[in-house]
Amino acid sequence: MRPRARWRSPASRAEAKRAATGEAAAQLFHVSKSYVAGTYALRDVSLEFGRGEFVFLTGPSGAGKTSLLRLVFAAERPSEGQIVVLGRNASRISQHSVPELRRRIGVVFQDFKLLARRTVEENVGLALDVVATPRRVARARVFEVLKQVGLQHRRYQSPLSLSGGEQQRVAIARALINEPDILLADEPTGNLDPDLTLEIMDLIADTATRGTTVVVATHDQSILGRFRKRTVRLEAGRVTEDRAAPGAAK
Amino acid sequence: MIAAATRGLYFARTSLRGIAATPGTAIVATATITVALVLVGAFGLVVLNMQELLARVGDAVQVTAFLTEGLPEADRTALAARVGDLEGVAGARLVSEAEALERFRGGVGQGFALLEGLGANPLPASIEVTLEDAYRTSADLSRIASVVARLPGVADITSGADWVEGYVRALALVRGLAIGLGVIFVLATTLIVSNTIRLAVLSRRDELEILALVGASRAFVNTPFLIEGLLQGAAAGLTAWTLLYALFRLVLPGFESGLELVLGGIAPRFFDAAESAWLCGGGAGLGLLGSAIAVASEARR
Repeated sequence: MRPRARWRSPASRAEAKRAATGEAAAQLFHVSKSYVAGTYALRDVSLEFGRGEFVFLTGPSGAGKTSLLRLVFAAERPSEGQIVVLGRNASRISQHSVPELRRRIGVVFQDFKLLARRTVEENVGLALDVVATPRRVARARVFEVLKQVGLQHRRYQSPLSLSGGEQQRVAIARALINEPDILLADEPTGNLDPDLTLEIMDLIADTATRGTTVVVATHDQSILGRFRKRTVRLEAGRVTEDRAAPGAAK
Repeated sequence: MIAAATRGLYFARTSLRGIAATPGTAIVATATITVALVLVGAFGLVVLNMQELLARVGDAVQVTAFLTEGLPEADRTALAARVGDLEGVAGARLVSEAEALERFRGGVGQGFALLEGLGANPLPASIEVTLEDAYRTSADLSRIASVVARLPGVADITSGADWVEGYVRALALVRGLAIGLGVIFVLATTLIVSNTIRLAVLSRRDELEILALVGASRAFVNTPFLIEGLLQGAAAGLTAWTLLYALFRLVLPGFESGLELVLGGIAPRFFDAAESAWLCGGGAGLGLLGSAIAVASEARR
Protein backbone atom coordinates (compact mmCIF):
# COMPACT_ATOMS: atom_id res chain seq x y z
CA MET A 1 0.00 0.00 0.00
CA ARG A 2 1.25 3.44 -0.83
CA PRO A 3 2.23 5.49 2.24
CA ARG A 4 -0.15 8.38 2.74
CA ALA A 5 2.06 10.83 4.60
CA ARG A 6 5.19 11.79 2.75
CA TRP A 7 6.51 14.99 4.22
CA ARG A 8 9.84 15.70 2.64
CA SER A 9 11.41 18.79 1.21
CA PRO A 10 10.57 19.51 -2.41
CA ALA A 11 14.13 18.73 -3.47
CA SER A 12 14.24 15.34 -1.80
CA ARG A 13 10.77 14.51 -3.12
CA ALA A 14 11.90 15.28 -6.61
CA GLU A 15 14.98 13.15 -6.26
CA ALA A 16 13.01 10.32 -4.74
CA LYS A 17 10.48 10.35 -7.50
CA ARG A 18 13.05 10.46 -10.27
CA ALA A 19 15.23 7.82 -8.71
CA ALA A 20 12.48 5.56 -7.48
CA THR A 21 12.26 3.19 -10.41
CA GLY A 22 13.38 5.00 -13.46
CA GLU A 23 10.13 3.95 -15.07
CA ALA A 24 7.95 6.44 -16.90
CA ALA A 25 5.03 8.11 -15.17
CA ALA A 26 2.77 7.18 -18.08
CA GLN A 27 3.26 5.22 -21.27
CA LEU A 28 0.86 4.87 -24.16
CA PHE A 29 1.37 2.00 -26.62
CA HIS A 30 -0.49 2.28 -29.93
CA VAL A 31 -3.50 3.74 -28.20
CA SER A 32 -6.68 4.45 -30.12
CA LYS A 33 -9.93 5.78 -28.76
CA SER A 34 -13.17 5.67 -30.66
CA TYR A 35 -16.50 6.96 -29.32
CA VAL A 36 -18.44 6.28 -32.51
CA ALA A 37 -17.65 3.32 -34.74
CA GLY A 38 -15.27 4.40 -37.50
CA THR A 39 -14.45 7.78 -35.92
CA TYR A 40 -11.35 8.11 -33.79
CA ALA A 41 -10.61 10.69 -31.10
CA LEU A 42 -7.13 9.19 -30.83
CA ARG A 43 -5.42 6.98 -33.37
CA ASP A 44 -2.36 4.82 -32.77
CA VAL A 45 -0.78 7.14 -30.21
CA SER A 46 2.46 5.99 -28.59
CA LEU A 47 3.96 8.35 -26.01
CA GLU A 48 5.91 8.31 -22.83
CA PHE A 49 5.83 10.90 -20.03
CA GLY A 50 8.88 10.63 -17.80
CA ARG A 51 8.78 11.13 -14.06
CA GLY A 52 9.09 14.80 -13.19
CA GLU A 53 8.75 15.77 -16.85
CA PHE A 54 6.75 18.81 -18.01
CA VAL A 55 4.89 18.20 -21.26
CA PHE A 56 2.55 20.38 -23.28
CA LEU A 57 -0.13 18.69 -25.35
CA THR A 58 -1.20 21.02 -28.08
CA GLY A 59 -3.28 21.02 -31.18
CA PRO A 60 -6.56 22.42 -32.45
CA SER A 61 -9.89 21.80 -30.77
CA GLY A 62 -10.99 18.20 -31.29
CA ALA A 63 -7.41 17.02 -31.79
CA GLY A 64 -7.74 14.51 -28.94
CA LYS A 65 -5.97 16.35 -26.09
CA THR A 66 -8.79 15.92 -23.58
CA SER A 67 -9.37 12.32 -24.62
CA LEU A 68 -5.71 11.56 -24.00
CA LEU A 69 -5.82 13.13 -20.53
CA ARG A 70 -9.03 11.22 -19.68
CA LEU A 71 -7.35 7.97 -20.64
CA VAL A 72 -4.40 8.75 -18.36
CA PHE A 73 -6.60 9.33 -15.31
CA ALA A 74 -8.68 6.28 -16.16
CA ALA A 75 -11.91 8.15 -16.80
CA GLU A 76 -12.07 6.11 -19.98
CA ARG A 77 -10.43 3.04 -21.44
CA PRO A 78 -8.72 2.90 -24.80
CA SER A 79 -10.49 1.15 -27.66
CA GLU A 80 -7.13 -0.29 -28.70
CA GLY A 81 -3.63 -0.34 -27.27
CA GLN A 82 -2.30 -0.22 -23.74
CA ILE A 83 -1.69 2.55 -21.22
CA VAL A 84 0.58 2.10 -18.23
CA VAL A 85 0.18 4.80 -15.58
CA LEU A 86 2.42 4.79 -12.52
CA GLY A 87 3.21 1.14 -13.12
CA ARG A 88 -0.42 0.06 -13.53
CA ASN A 89 -2.09 -0.94 -16.74
CA ALA A 90 -4.86 1.65 -16.95
CA SER A 91 -6.47 -0.12 -19.91
CA ARG A 92 -7.20 -3.18 -17.79
CA ILE A 93 -7.50 -1.70 -14.33
CA SER A 94 -10.57 -2.83 -12.39
CA GLN A 95 -13.20 -0.24 -11.42
CA HIS A 96 -12.35 -1.04 -7.83
CA SER A 97 -8.71 0.03 -8.33
CA VAL A 98 -9.39 3.24 -10.24
CA PRO A 99 -9.83 5.41 -7.08
CA GLU A 100 -6.45 4.25 -5.78
CA LEU A 101 -4.77 5.32 -9.02
CA ARG A 102 -6.61 8.66 -9.06
CA ARG A 103 -5.33 9.50 -5.59
CA ARG A 104 -1.88 9.69 -7.20
CA ILE A 105 -3.03 11.95 -10.02
CA GLY A 106 -4.12 15.59 -9.71
CA VAL A 107 -6.41 17.02 -12.37
CA VAL A 108 -7.13 20.67 -13.21
CA PHE A 109 -9.86 21.72 -15.64
CA GLN A 110 -10.63 24.84 -17.60
CA ASP A 111 -13.94 25.25 -15.72
CA PHE A 112 -12.29 24.74 -12.29
CA LYS A 113 -14.92 22.22 -11.12
CA LEU A 114 -15.25 23.69 -7.64
CA LEU A 115 -18.21 23.08 -5.37
CA ALA A 116 -20.10 26.32 -4.85
CA ARG A 117 -21.76 25.07 -1.66
CA ARG A 118 -18.45 24.42 0.04
CA THR A 119 -15.75 26.74 1.26
CA VAL A 120 -12.35 27.02 -0.37
CA GLU A 121 -10.90 24.97 2.48
CA GLU A 122 -13.48 22.22 2.04
CA ASN A 123 -12.96 22.14 -1.72
CA VAL A 124 -9.23 21.74 -1.36
CA GLY A 125 -9.61 19.19 1.43
CA LEU A 126 -11.91 16.85 -0.54
CA ALA A 127 -9.08 14.56 -1.57
CA LEU A 128 -8.02 14.29 2.07
CA ASP A 129 -11.59 13.41 3.15
CA VAL A 130 -11.49 10.54 0.68
CA VAL A 131 -8.49 8.98 2.41
CA ALA A 132 -9.94 9.67 5.89
CA THR A 133 -7.26 12.14 6.93
CA PRO A 134 -7.99 13.34 10.48
CA ARG A 135 -9.59 16.78 10.42
CA ARG A 136 -6.81 18.53 12.29
CA VAL A 137 -4.12 17.13 10.00
CA ALA A 138 -6.23 17.88 6.93
CA ARG A 139 -6.78 21.51 7.93
CA ALA A 140 -3.06 22.02 8.48
CA ARG A 141 -2.26 20.46 5.11
CA VAL A 142 -4.94 22.51 3.33
CA PHE A 143 -3.55 25.68 4.90
CA GLU A 144 -0.06 24.78 3.70
CA VAL A 145 -1.19 24.17 0.11
CA LEU A 146 -3.40 27.26 0.05
CA LYS A 147 -0.37 29.22 1.21
CA GLN A 148 1.59 27.82 -1.73
CA VAL A 149 -1.01 29.22 -4.10
CA GLY A 150 -1.37 32.44 -2.07
CA LEU A 151 -4.98 31.93 -0.97
CA GLN A 152 -4.72 30.98 2.69
CA HIS A 153 -6.59 34.14 3.66
CA ARG A 154 -9.54 33.08 1.48
CA ARG A 155 -10.00 29.62 2.95
CA TYR A 156 -13.38 30.23 4.60
CA GLN A 157 -14.92 31.90 1.57
CA SER A 158 -17.13 30.39 -1.09
CA PRO A 159 -15.36 29.81 -4.42
CA LEU A 160 -18.07 31.95 -6.01
CA SER A 161 -16.67 35.00 -4.23
CA LEU A 162 -13.26 34.53 -5.89
CA SER A 163 -11.97 35.78 -9.24
CA GLY A 164 -11.39 33.33 -12.10
CA GLY A 165 -7.66 33.23 -11.42
CA GLU A 166 -8.23 32.61 -7.75
CA GLN A 167 -10.70 29.84 -8.48
CA GLN A 168 -8.17 28.15 -10.72
CA ARG A 169 -5.57 28.46 -7.98
CA VAL A 170 -8.00 26.72 -5.61
CA ALA A 171 -8.43 23.96 -8.20
CA ILE A 172 -4.66 23.62 -8.45
CA ALA A 173 -4.37 23.49 -4.67
CA ARG A 174 -6.97 20.70 -4.64
CA ALA A 175 -5.02 18.82 -7.31
CA LEU A 176 -1.78 19.16 -5.35
CA ILE A 177 -3.10 18.42 -1.87
CA ASN A 178 -2.09 14.73 -2.01
CA GLU A 179 1.29 15.50 -3.61
CA PRO A 180 0.37 13.68 -6.80
CA ASP A 181 2.88 11.85 -8.98
CA ILE A 182 1.14 13.25 -12.05
CA LEU A 183 -0.63 16.58 -12.55
CA LEU A 184 -2.91 16.78 -15.58
CA ALA A 185 -4.25 20.18 -16.61
CA ASP A 186 -6.82 20.50 -19.38
CA GLU A 187 -6.76 24.03 -20.79
CA PRO A 188 -6.20 25.40 -17.27
CA THR A 189 -5.97 28.99 -18.50
CA GLY A 190 -8.72 28.83 -21.07
CA ASN A 191 -11.00 31.10 -19.04
CA LEU A 192 -8.36 33.52 -17.82
CA ASP A 193 -6.90 36.79 -19.06
CA PRO A 194 -3.20 36.93 -20.10
CA ASP A 195 -1.88 38.12 -16.71
CA LEU A 196 -3.70 35.44 -14.79
CA THR A 197 -2.66 32.89 -17.42
CA LEU A 198 1.00 33.52 -16.63
CA GLU A 199 0.35 33.40 -12.91
CA ILE A 200 -1.39 30.03 -13.16
CA MET A 201 1.20 28.58 -15.53
CA ASP A 202 3.99 29.67 -13.16
CA LEU A 203 2.23 27.78 -10.39
CA ILE A 204 1.87 24.66 -12.53
CA ALA A 205 5.46 24.84 -13.77
CA ASP A 206 6.62 25.15 -10.18
CA THR A 207 4.93 21.83 -9.46
CA ALA A 208 7.12 20.08 -12.02
CA THR A 209 10.26 21.31 -10.27
CA ARG A 210 9.17 19.28 -7.24
CA GLY A 211 9.23 16.03 -9.15
CA THR A 212 5.62 15.80 -10.28
CA THR A 213 5.03 14.86 -13.90
CA VAL A 214 2.99 17.67 -15.42
CA VAL A 215 0.96 17.32 -18.61
CA VAL A 216 -0.80 20.49 -19.76
CA ALA A 217 -3.25 20.46 -22.66
CA THR A 218 -3.40 23.90 -24.28
CA HIS A 219 -3.76 25.52 -27.63
CA ASP A 220 -2.46 28.85 -26.33
CA GLN A 221 0.65 29.57 -28.43
CA SER A 222 1.80 32.33 -26.08
CA ILE A 223 2.16 29.81 -23.29
CA LEU A 224 4.09 27.41 -25.50
CA GLY A 225 6.41 30.24 -26.51
CA ARG A 226 7.02 31.40 -22.97
CA PHE A 227 7.38 28.03 -21.23
CA ARG A 228 9.82 26.21 -23.42
CA LYS A 229 9.00 22.60 -22.58
CA ARG A 230 8.53 19.35 -24.44
CA THR A 231 5.55 19.80 -26.73
CA VAL A 232 3.46 17.02 -28.23
CA ARG A 233 1.20 18.13 -31.05
CA LEU A 234 -1.95 16.21 -31.81
CA GLU A 235 -4.03 16.60 -34.94
CA ALA A 236 -7.13 14.55 -35.70
CA GLY A 237 -6.17 12.12 -32.96
CA ARG A 238 -2.63 11.46 -34.18
CA VAL A 239 0.71 12.68 -32.84
CA THR A 240 2.10 14.90 -35.56
CA GLU A 241 5.01 16.34 -33.64
CA ASP A 242 6.87 15.53 -30.43
CA ARG A 243 9.36 18.33 -29.82
CA ALA A 244 11.75 18.02 -26.89
CA ALA A 245 12.35 21.00 -24.60
CA PRO A 246 15.14 23.20 -25.92
CA GLY A 247 18.38 22.00 -24.43
CA ALA A 248 16.94 18.73 -23.22
CA ALA A 249 18.88 15.53 -23.94
CA LYS A 250 17.24 13.38 -26.60
CA MET B 1 -10.00 3.62 14.56
CA ILE B 2 -9.26 7.32 13.97
CA ALA B 3 -9.76 6.78 10.24
CA ALA B 4 -13.14 5.12 10.89
CA ALA B 5 -14.22 7.96 13.19
CA THR B 6 -13.03 10.57 10.67
CA ARG B 7 -14.90 8.80 7.91
CA GLY B 8 -18.02 8.45 10.06
CA LEU B 9 -17.98 12.14 10.85
CA TYR B 10 -17.51 12.97 7.19
CA PHE B 11 -20.46 10.76 6.21
CA ALA B 12 -22.70 12.23 8.92
CA ARG B 13 -21.73 15.79 7.94
CA THR B 14 -22.20 15.12 4.23
CA SER B 15 -25.56 13.40 4.75
CA LEU B 16 -26.97 16.24 6.83
CA ARG B 17 -25.57 18.75 4.37
CA GLY B 18 -27.19 16.80 1.54
CA ILE B 19 -30.58 16.92 3.24
CA ALA B 20 -30.17 20.64 3.85
CA ALA B 21 -29.14 21.19 0.22
CA THR B 22 -32.26 19.50 -1.20
CA PRO B 23 -34.93 20.00 1.47
CA GLY B 24 -37.76 19.57 -1.05
CA THR B 25 -36.79 16.04 -2.01
CA ALA B 26 -36.09 15.18 1.63
CA ILE B 27 -39.58 16.34 2.64
CA VAL B 28 -41.24 14.44 -0.22
CA ALA B 29 -39.38 11.23 0.64
CA THR B 30 -40.13 11.54 4.35
CA ALA B 31 -43.79 12.41 3.79
CA THR B 32 -44.25 9.48 1.38
CA ILE B 33 -42.82 6.99 3.83
CA THR B 34 -44.87 8.53 6.63
CA VAL B 35 -48.16 8.16 4.73
CA ALA B 36 -47.37 4.55 3.83
CA LEU B 37 -46.44 3.71 7.40
CA VAL B 38 -49.54 5.40 8.85
CA LEU B 39 -51.82 3.39 6.54
CA VAL B 40 -50.04 0.10 7.08
CA GLY B 41 -49.74 0.85 10.80
CA ALA B 42 -53.45 1.58 11.10
CA PHE B 43 -54.34 -1.74 9.48
CA GLY B 44 -51.72 -3.38 11.66
CA LEU B 45 -53.40 -1.98 14.75
CA VAL B 46 -56.80 -3.31 13.68
CA VAL B 47 -55.37 -6.78 12.99
CA LEU B 48 -53.46 -6.72 16.25
CA ASN B 49 -56.54 -5.92 18.30
CA MET B 50 -58.71 -8.44 16.48
CA GLN B 51 -56.10 -11.11 17.09
CA GLU B 52 -55.97 -10.09 20.70
CA LEU B 53 -59.71 -10.55 20.98
CA LEU B 54 -59.57 -13.95 19.33
CA ALA B 55 -56.84 -15.06 21.72
CA ARG B 56 -58.82 -13.92 24.76
CA VAL B 57 -62.12 -15.29 23.52
CA GLY B 58 -60.30 -18.50 22.68
CA ASP B 59 -59.95 -19.25 26.36
CA ALA B 60 -63.72 -19.20 26.60
CA VAL B 61 -64.35 -21.18 23.43
CA GLN B 62 -65.85 -24.41 24.56
CA VAL B 63 -68.46 -27.10 23.87
CA THR B 64 -71.15 -27.58 26.49
CA ALA B 65 -72.83 -30.98 26.58
CA PHE B 66 -76.11 -31.02 28.54
CA LEU B 67 -76.74 -34.40 30.14
CA THR B 68 -79.98 -36.35 30.10
CA GLU B 69 -82.04 -35.95 33.22
CA GLY B 70 -81.46 -38.57 35.92
CA LEU B 71 -78.13 -39.89 34.55
CA PRO B 72 -76.43 -41.74 37.41
CA GLU B 73 -73.35 -40.13 38.96
CA ALA B 74 -71.06 -43.01 37.88
CA ASP B 75 -72.19 -42.64 34.25
CA ARG B 76 -71.68 -38.91 34.40
CA THR B 77 -68.10 -39.35 35.62
CA ALA B 78 -67.38 -42.02 33.02
CA LEU B 79 -68.85 -39.82 30.29
CA ALA B 80 -66.70 -36.84 31.36
CA ALA B 81 -63.60 -39.06 31.32
CA ARG B 82 -64.49 -40.35 27.85
CA VAL B 83 -64.97 -36.82 26.51
CA GLY B 84 -61.69 -35.77 28.12
CA ASP B 85 -59.87 -38.45 26.10
CA LEU B 86 -61.09 -37.13 22.74
CA GLU B 87 -58.52 -35.65 20.36
CA GLY B 88 -58.11 -31.89 20.83
CA VAL B 89 -59.89 -31.77 24.16
CA ALA B 90 -57.90 -29.98 26.85
CA GLY B 91 -60.34 -30.72 29.65
CA ALA B 92 -63.88 -31.97 30.38
CA ARG B 93 -65.42 -30.66 33.58
CA LEU B 94 -68.59 -32.02 35.05
CA VAL B 95 -71.02 -29.32 36.21
CA SER B 96 -73.80 -30.59 38.48
CA GLU B 97 -77.36 -29.20 38.50
CA ALA B 98 -76.62 -27.52 41.83
CA GLU B 99 -73.45 -25.85 40.55
CA ALA B 100 -75.28 -24.68 37.44
CA LEU B 101 -77.94 -23.08 39.64
CA GLU B 102 -75.28 -21.48 41.82
CA ARG B 103 -73.64 -19.96 38.73
CA PHE B 104 -76.98 -18.74 37.46
CA ARG B 105 -77.67 -17.13 40.77
CA GLY B 106 -74.32 -15.32 40.62
CA GLY B 107 -75.04 -14.24 37.09
CA VAL B 108 -78.53 -12.79 37.41
CA GLY B 109 -78.19 -11.28 40.90
CA GLN B 110 -81.55 -9.72 41.96
CA GLY B 111 -83.31 -11.51 39.12
CA PHE B 112 -82.82 -14.76 40.96
CA ALA B 113 -86.08 -14.12 42.76
CA LEU B 114 -87.82 -15.03 39.48
CA LEU B 115 -86.70 -18.64 39.90
CA GLU B 116 -87.99 -18.90 43.44
CA GLY B 117 -91.46 -19.93 42.29
CA LEU B 118 -90.25 -22.81 40.13
CA GLY B 119 -89.63 -25.10 43.09
CA ALA B 120 -87.30 -27.78 41.61
CA ASN B 121 -83.98 -26.80 39.97
CA PRO B 122 -84.75 -26.56 36.24
CA LEU B 123 -81.09 -26.47 35.14
CA PRO B 124 -79.54 -29.68 33.76
CA ALA B 125 -76.11 -31.11 34.61
CA SER B 126 -73.52 -30.58 31.90
CA ILE B 127 -69.95 -31.28 30.81
CA GLU B 128 -67.91 -28.23 29.82
CA VAL B 129 -65.36 -29.18 27.19
CA THR B 130 -62.38 -26.86 26.70
CA LEU B 131 -60.14 -27.26 23.67
CA GLU B 132 -56.39 -27.29 23.19
CA ASP B 133 -55.05 -24.07 21.60
CA ALA B 134 -54.43 -25.66 18.22
CA TYR B 135 -58.02 -26.97 18.06
CA ARG B 136 -59.79 -23.66 18.71
CA THR B 137 -61.06 -23.42 15.18
CA SER B 138 -64.62 -23.56 13.98
CA ALA B 139 -63.99 -26.86 12.15
CA ASP B 140 -62.59 -28.57 15.23
CA LEU B 141 -65.30 -27.08 17.40
CA SER B 142 -67.97 -28.54 15.10
CA ARG B 143 -66.19 -31.90 14.85
CA ILE B 144 -65.81 -32.29 18.61
CA ALA B 145 -69.36 -31.06 19.25
CA SER B 146 -70.81 -33.65 16.84
CA VAL B 147 -68.76 -36.48 18.39
CA VAL B 148 -69.84 -35.47 21.91
CA ALA B 149 -73.49 -35.09 20.81
CA ARG B 150 -73.58 -38.74 19.72
CA LEU B 151 -72.35 -40.07 23.05
CA PRO B 152 -75.00 -41.80 25.18
CA GLY B 153 -76.16 -39.60 28.05
CA VAL B 154 -75.83 -36.33 26.12
CA ALA B 155 -79.18 -34.62 25.60
CA ASP B 156 -78.13 -31.43 23.87
CA ILE B 157 -75.04 -29.54 22.92
CA THR B 158 -73.93 -25.93 22.29
CA SER B 159 -70.72 -24.49 20.84
CA GLY B 160 -69.48 -21.11 19.58
CA ALA B 161 -68.44 -22.56 16.22
CA ASP B 162 -70.47 -20.19 14.07
CA TRP B 163 -69.29 -17.09 15.91
CA VAL B 164 -65.67 -18.20 15.83
CA GLU B 165 -65.90 -19.07 12.14
CA GLY B 166 -67.27 -15.65 11.24
CA TYR B 167 -64.75 -13.80 13.36
CA VAL B 168 -61.79 -15.80 12.05
CA ARG B 169 -62.98 -15.13 8.52
CA ALA B 170 -63.22 -11.39 9.21
CA LEU B 171 -59.80 -11.43 10.82
CA ALA B 172 -58.28 -13.26 7.84
CA LEU B 173 -59.87 -10.70 5.51
CA VAL B 174 -58.50 -7.72 7.43
CA ARG B 175 -55.11 -9.39 7.77
CA GLY B 176 -55.00 -10.20 4.07
CA LEU B 177 -56.02 -6.64 3.26
CA ALA B 178 -53.29 -5.31 5.55
CA ILE B 179 -50.66 -7.55 3.98
CA GLY B 180 -51.83 -6.73 0.46
CA LEU B 181 -51.88 -3.01 1.12
CA GLY B 182 -48.58 -3.32 2.96
CA VAL B 183 -46.92 -4.91 -0.07
CA ILE B 184 -48.42 -2.30 -2.42
CA PHE B 185 -47.40 0.57 -0.15
CA VAL B 186 -43.89 -0.80 0.32
CA LEU B 187 -43.43 -1.15 -3.44
CA ALA B 188 -44.94 2.25 -4.20
CA THR B 189 -43.03 3.94 -1.41
CA THR B 190 -39.75 2.34 -2.44
CA LEU B 191 -40.31 3.54 -5.98
CA ILE B 192 -41.17 7.10 -4.92
CA VAL B 193 -38.36 7.29 -2.38
CA SER B 194 -35.80 5.90 -4.81
CA ASN B 195 -36.88 8.47 -7.39
CA THR B 196 -36.71 11.38 -4.93
CA ILE B 197 -33.28 10.25 -3.74
CA ARG B 198 -32.28 9.96 -7.37
CA LEU B 199 -33.23 13.61 -7.80
CA ALA B 200 -30.91 14.40 -4.89
CA VAL B 201 -28.15 12.36 -6.53
CA LEU B 202 -28.67 14.18 -9.82
CA SER B 203 -28.71 17.59 -8.16
CA ARG B 204 -25.31 16.81 -6.67
CA ARG B 205 -23.80 15.24 -9.76
CA ASP B 206 -21.05 17.88 -9.89
CA GLU B 207 -20.00 16.92 -6.39
CA LEU B 208 -19.98 13.23 -7.23
CA GLU B 209 -17.91 13.88 -10.34
CA ILE B 210 -15.33 15.78 -8.32
CA LEU B 211 -15.25 13.15 -5.61
CA ALA B 212 -14.59 10.48 -8.23
CA LEU B 213 -11.88 12.71 -9.67
CA VAL B 214 -10.00 12.94 -6.39
CA GLY B 215 -10.09 9.19 -5.88
CA ALA B 216 -13.28 8.51 -3.94
CA SER B 217 -14.47 4.91 -4.14
CA ARG B 218 -18.05 4.15 -5.12
CA ALA B 219 -18.85 3.18 -1.54
CA PHE B 220 -17.46 6.49 -0.31
CA VAL B 221 -19.63 8.41 -2.75
CA ASN B 222 -22.77 6.35 -2.09
CA THR B 223 -22.68 6.03 1.69
CA PRO B 224 -23.93 9.58 2.46
CA PHE B 225 -26.96 8.99 0.21
CA LEU B 226 -27.72 5.72 1.99
CA ILE B 227 -27.47 7.50 5.35
CA GLU B 228 -29.77 10.22 4.02
CA GLY B 229 -32.37 7.61 3.09
CA LEU B 230 -31.99 5.90 6.43
CA LEU B 231 -32.40 9.16 8.35
CA GLN B 232 -35.42 10.23 6.31
CA GLY B 233 -36.99 6.80 6.78
CA ALA B 234 -36.34 6.83 10.52
CA ALA B 235 -37.83 10.34 10.77
CA ALA B 236 -40.85 9.12 8.82
CA GLY B 237 -41.17 6.14 11.17
CA LEU B 238 -41.18 8.38 14.21
CA THR B 239 -43.66 10.77 12.61
CA ALA B 240 -45.96 7.90 11.62
CA TRP B 241 -45.80 6.47 15.14
CA THR B 242 -46.66 9.89 16.60
CA LEU B 243 -49.56 10.37 14.19
CA LEU B 244 -50.93 6.90 14.88
CA TYR B 245 -50.64 7.45 18.61
CA ALA B 246 -52.43 10.78 18.31
CA LEU B 247 -55.20 9.16 16.23
CA PHE B 248 -55.43 6.32 18.72
CA ARG B 249 -55.73 8.62 21.71
CA LEU B 250 -57.74 11.50 20.24
CA VAL B 251 -59.87 10.09 17.43
CA LEU B 252 -60.59 6.50 18.44
CA PRO B 253 -62.74 7.34 21.49
CA GLY B 254 -65.23 8.95 19.07
CA PHE B 255 -65.91 5.54 17.50
CA GLU B 256 -66.61 3.62 20.66
CA SER B 257 -69.79 1.95 19.43
CA GLY B 258 -68.09 0.71 16.26
CA LEU B 259 -65.19 -0.59 18.29
CA GLU B 260 -67.56 -2.36 20.62
CA LEU B 261 -68.94 -4.17 17.60
CA VAL B 262 -65.52 -5.28 16.37
CA LEU B 263 -63.68 -5.86 19.62
CA GLY B 264 -66.47 -6.67 22.04
CA GLY B 265 -65.70 -5.51 25.54
CA ILE B 266 -61.95 -5.53 25.02
CA ALA B 267 -60.22 -2.15 25.30
CA PRO B 268 -58.16 -1.49 22.16
CA ARG B 269 -54.42 -1.38 22.67
CA PHE B 270 -51.62 0.53 20.89
CA PHE B 271 -48.32 -0.91 19.69
CA ASP B 272 -46.00 -2.10 22.45
CA ALA B 273 -42.31 -1.12 22.52
CA ALA B 274 -41.18 -3.91 20.21
CA GLU B 275 -43.96 -3.25 17.68
CA SER B 276 -43.22 0.49 17.78
CA ALA B 277 -39.55 -0.27 17.11
CA TRP B 278 -40.62 -2.38 14.12
CA LEU B 279 -42.66 0.54 12.75
CA CYS B 280 -39.76 3.00 13.06
CA GLY B 281 -37.29 0.39 11.84
CA GLY B 282 -39.55 -0.34 8.89
CA GLY B 283 -39.44 3.35 7.97
CA ALA B 284 -35.67 3.41 8.19
CA GLY B 285 -35.52 0.23 6.13
CA LEU B 286 -37.78 1.70 3.45
CA GLY B 287 -35.62 4.82 3.26
CA LEU B 288 -32.46 2.75 3.03
CA LEU B 289 -33.94 0.48 0.36
CA GLY B 290 -35.10 3.47 -1.71
CA SER B 291 -31.66 5.06 -1.48
CA ALA B 292 -29.90 1.81 -2.34
CA ILE B 293 -32.03 1.41 -5.47
CA ALA B 294 -31.41 5.06 -6.41
CA VAL B 295 -27.62 4.92 -6.08
CA ALA B 296 -27.46 1.51 -7.75
CA SER B 297 -29.45 2.71 -10.74
CA GLU B 298 -27.36 5.89 -10.97
CA ALA B 299 -24.16 3.86 -10.80
CA ARG B 300 -25.33 1.81 -13.79
CA ARG B 301 -25.81 4.92 -15.92
